[in-house]
Amino acid sequence: MDITAPTIILTLVWGVAIGCVYILLATGLNIIFGVMKLVNFAHGQLLMLGAYLTWTISYAAGLNAYAAIIVSMLVVALIGVAVERLTFRRVLGGDKLNEIFVSLGLIYIFENAAMLIWGANSKQIVSPLSGLSLTLPSISITYDRIVAVFVVIATLIAFGLLIQKTKIGLAMRATSQRNSTAMLMGINVETIYMLTFAIGAALAAVAGGLYGIIFSFDYQVGALPTIIAFAIIILGGLGSIKGAIIGGLLYGIVEQLATLFFGGVWGSAVAFAMLIVVLIIRPNGIFGEKGE
Amino acid sequence: MQIKQLLMPFLRSNGFKIMLAAFAILAILPILVNDNFFLYVFTLIFVFSIYASSWNLLANSGQGSLGHAAFLGIGGFASALIGGSMSSAIMASLEVTKMPIGIMSVLIQIVVILLGGLLSAGIGFLIGLACVRLKAWYLAMVTFGFSVIAGTLSSQLDTITNGINGFAPIALVPNGYPFYILVISFAVFSITAMSLIMKSRMGLAFRAIHGNETEAKMIGINTAKYKLIAFVISTFFAGIAGGLYAYFIRFIQNDIFSPANSFLPLIMTVIGGLGTVVGPIIGSIFLVSLQQSLALPGVVESLRSSLGAYFPGVSNVGPPIAFLIIGIILVLIVIFSPKGLAPLFSKFLKYLTSEEKGKEAKKK
Repeated sequence: MDITAPTIILTLVWGVAIGCVYILLATGLNIIFGVMKLVNFAHGQLLMLGAYLTWTISYAAGLNAYAAIIVSMLVVALIGVAVERLTFRRVLGGDKLNEIFVSLGLIYIFENAAMLIWGANSKQIVSPLSGLSLTLPSISITYDRIVAVFVVIATLIAFGLLIQKTKIGLAMRATSQRNSTAMLMGINVETIYMLTFAIGAALAAVAGGLYGIIFSFDYQVGALPTIIAFAIIILGGLGSIKGAIIGGLLYGIVEQLATLFFGGVWGSAVAFAMLIVVLIIRPNGIFGEKGE
Repeated sequence: MQIKQLLMPFLRSNGFKIMLAAFAILAILPILVNDNFFLYVFTLIFVFSIYASSWNLLANSGQGSLGHAAFLGIGGFASALIGGSMSSAIMASLEVTKMPIGIMSVLIQIVVILLGGLLSAGIGFLIGLACVRLKAWYLAMVTFGFSVIAGTLSSQLDTITNGINGFAPIALVPNGYPFYILVISFAVFSITAMSLIMKSRMGLAFRAIHGNETEAKMIGINTAKYKLIAFVISTFFAGIAGGLYAYFIRFIQNDIFSPANSFLPLIMTVIGGLGTVVGPIIGSIFLVSLQQSLALPGVVESLRSSLGAYFPGVSNVGPPIAFLIIGIILVLIVIFSPKGLAPLFSKFLKYLTSEEKGKEAKKK
């Protein structure tokens, strides 16, 4: 492929669109970590469920794909509540390895259940804008990608308002600072944990719906985005929302540029190499708090 | 000195007797049963017992690796490639086209598998240097990332590894009973060595670090040093398992670096019993026999005719159902029985022996 100005611009636009999906996933992972001090390695599987549910709702009920995302968001939030109550709550605060084991069990449960329900072949969500694109001189961008960027911005603004302006957000911030003090202030920490997990799951579902409209997906789609989202929040610092946004955009653009210049094989390997180097230099991430 | 102090009581202890007895029973078993499929499954179980035990040792020091497939693969590729070049050199000097099987080839087999383990441990040392300062989830991510990088490198260096299409290592020990004996010898020695390490002062340090790293540091344990040692020992045995696996399956491909292979020892160990010697073995028996029985043509066919209609999108319903159940078992075990199935197993043993004692007491 010739590397010309239009291809680079197109790559940047693609990078921003993909980065937006990563941002949503990373923000969800981040808020769960911030409040619950829990790393949910099965977060990408919630994205996968979001994509499949959006597909089913738009296909079976004939609903507009973007409206279907809202429905799937609610369903995945409920699944998130169930997951938190039934599994993570029982191992929270104990041996960190147990949280990793439970996440892994959840990955196996969700992926295989999805494979049994929806089959092993890949699917793509048909949106009303499919096939249409904005044509500028020498480049064309599909409308779906442009809409995806705006959906992400709207979701993040709503999320920011929830965290900054509401009582629930205040309680979540208090819990994230110190849960025992939050408890003394009359906050029901267990309810906050449940809500936090539900919100994180809902963000993953939106990411899944957008992903399913832009790309085709199958039951294994969640694995790589989880890792990428994790890389993003490690770079941006665990618990920092701003870091996740900057990291997500940066990662999406770098990944697309790396694919353009070096070829697709190196995409994830380069991401991990970067991650490992950062962690060797700073074991708590670039913007993370200093350890002991 | 320390080794002698460790070894002498061990040679007199019950553990040594159990080890000898286990070896004898395992060696005789296939002669009694005399079935190829049985032998195949048993060999695989012991290869994975080594692999899962190596993961267990690392987790016992508080480090949960999600990328052990990297070391399985490094050991596998290294021993298959070194073995290949050694045997082609021998074949060229003898001017034959087929590697002669004999004491010589068995020795080469043992040496190349050990070399695979050593190379894996060498790389494990370098990765371990990066990992000792990391917290649980960062470590999980870095090890996972390393297995992805190892797979990518192996496909980029395809002219050396031939990993994309895969290749068959040149046979050095015939498959079947001879290879089974090789595997159980390696398994008995490796698992005994690892259990000795876990029972020694070093193992105590590992457990202290797992319990609470800051406290371990406070009582004067050099946590970074012990974590690194655990990493090197673990990756050495994972590499050995990789070499045995490649030579047993008679095929090695980049697939070996897949995340599924990284998760396997974790699932085996957690289901069997984290931090115990028998846990990884129980888990390996459970998982390998489940996977192998699901691959039997009769089982595949009956599952398809009974359940296939409910799941039209899946061609072979056995594996997804099995892995769904394994996922549920994993979660249930972590929540309700964090020590896995091993305590149940030892309770059962105690129950048996106490009953016998009870009978003896009654007779008296």
